[in-house]
Amino acid sequence: MTADLLLQGLINGLILGLIYSLIGLSLNIIFGVLRVVNFAHGEFIILGAYAAYFLQRLLGLSPFLAMPVIFVMFALIGWALYFVLVKRLTRSDDPETASLLVMFGLSITLGALMLFFFEADARSLDYMLEPPFLMFGNIVIPTTRLVALAITLVITGITAWFLYRTFPGKALRAVIMNRSAVATVGIDVEKLSAMTFGIGLGFAGVTGVLLAMIFPAFSPFAGADYTLIGFIIIVLGGLGHPIGALVGGLLFGVTEQVTVVLADNSVALLVGFALMIAVIFFRPSGLFGRQQMR
Amino acid sequence: MLRVTDLTKTFGGLKALGGVSLHIPEKRVLGLLGMNGSGKTTLLNCINGLYEPTGGDIQLQGKSLLGLPTHKIAGRGVGRTFQVPKLFPRMTLLENLAAPFTTGHASDAEVYERSAEWLNRVELYRLRHNYAEELSGGQQKLVELARMMVAQPRLVLLDEPFAGVNPSLALLIIRLIEAMPERDGCSVLLVSHDLTSVYQLSHNIVVLHEGRVLAEGGAAEIRSNPDVIEAYLGA
Repeated sequence: MTADLLLQGLINGLILGLIYSLIGLSLNIIFGVLRVVNFAHGEFIILGAYAAYFLQRLLGLSPFLAMPVIFVMFALIGWALYFVLVKRLTRSDDPETASLLVMFGLSITLGALMLFFFEADARSLDYMLEPPFLMFGNIVIPTTRLVALAITLVITGITAWFLYRTFPGKALRAVIMNRSAVATVGIDVEKLSAMTFGIGLGFAGVTGVLLAMIFPAFSPFAGADYTLIGFIIIVLGGLGHPIGALVGGLLFGVTEQVTVVLADNSVALLVGFALMIAVIFFRPSGLFGRQQMR
Repeated sequence: MLRVTDLTKTFGGLKALGGVSLHIPEKRVLGLLGMNGSGKTTLLNCINGLYEPTGGDIQLQGKSLLGLPTHKIAGRGVGRTFQVPKLFPRMTLLENLAAPFTTGHASDAEVYERSAEWLNRVELYRLRHNYAEELSGGQQKLVELARMMVAQPRLVLLDEPFAGVNPSLALLIIRLIEAMPERDGCSVLLVSHDLTSVYQLSHNIVVLHEGRVLAEGGAAEIRSNPDVIEAYLGA
């Protein structure tokens, strides 16, 4: 029975971990390119969930069809927000600290606005997949989670292809590695930064839909938890490293879910933090972090 | 080709450049000499847009570069290397050389062909799939030089290309710079403390001292100029 539980936790962890890694990936790309600590990331994730909720309620759009719409919508918001707010932060003498403070303020503002407009009641997406569960021996996997996993794998694959096979993706990685050199070879850092913030928020929106699909409810207060998870993941994987975020997400997801099945839900975050502290202790720059990547 | 007129640059109360004027004709090498702190690198930073000049003008082929961001100046054909090479450490040499093409419309085949040609010229083709961070300092300088040249610049700004490079690699770099005006069709602004190489490679030499032009002329003139001897070369 314990082996089954362990296996159940492991599978849940891999599925959730991969979805979590999307949070880390977008945070990491934003931090790597812009040196901006997006402390409002969790709120954008929750806004993504609300967007799916209202697209379903008002237009009858299923969460699956809402995802590309939300990605484009949030990418445009991110692109605009870059020019309105973020660009000024990147020009600061200390963009990390300045962005941490401003984005923390934005996080509180977005949380308060969501509370004002959507109220404190928890919402959930109204949809059902048939069959609701798949049984593999004693292992039960909700179909929604498997579908979310498939979608996440597709998104991860497209992101990897974009970053490692396309010219804009390579330019984006080049900025992460050596920001001061890219302009010298003719790359428009400003344009790339706006694109990056757009993609980052686009990912946040889609992640919100995925999380709303697999967790029963969401509310305006949940954003901070996801921001926290995102930061644990990027510290585990290494700041500014896209692949590190994937590994960090999987590691955190598995640790969290195995702890849930073997111990208790309330201990899960504690174990996640313990894992983060252990990694910082032995590898201060994270599992994939390198000074050169910063 | 490049005309710098009465260029000034101040940092707070410090005047790094105090009215520098110089001219580089088409397909010519201009050597730039000067003690540490004389303003050589500041001048290069002003030309390629990393610094905004306080006064004066910089014109490339009759058009002012003032106010343009660095990437647009690069787009006008100004290439640049740095004293400490600025590569993309976790990218392969081929990826590093492809970086200038990320905003263009070149096909993959064309990018590979041009990158491979330049990796061959800097004798590093065999390491094309290695990460840049795995190379020695001298090899990194060669990759940076190749990355600049693959974009087919009209003007190249070379900041201390021989610093920290072993003699055989330095010889290769000299050969590459020698070929730049005729074979690659570009003008060169060469900053170096290696006097022998500067004398050998430059058609004309400018000596900076405390942000001003102290002397200008051919290698023989500079070598015998008493002001230069006193201020820079020593007695």
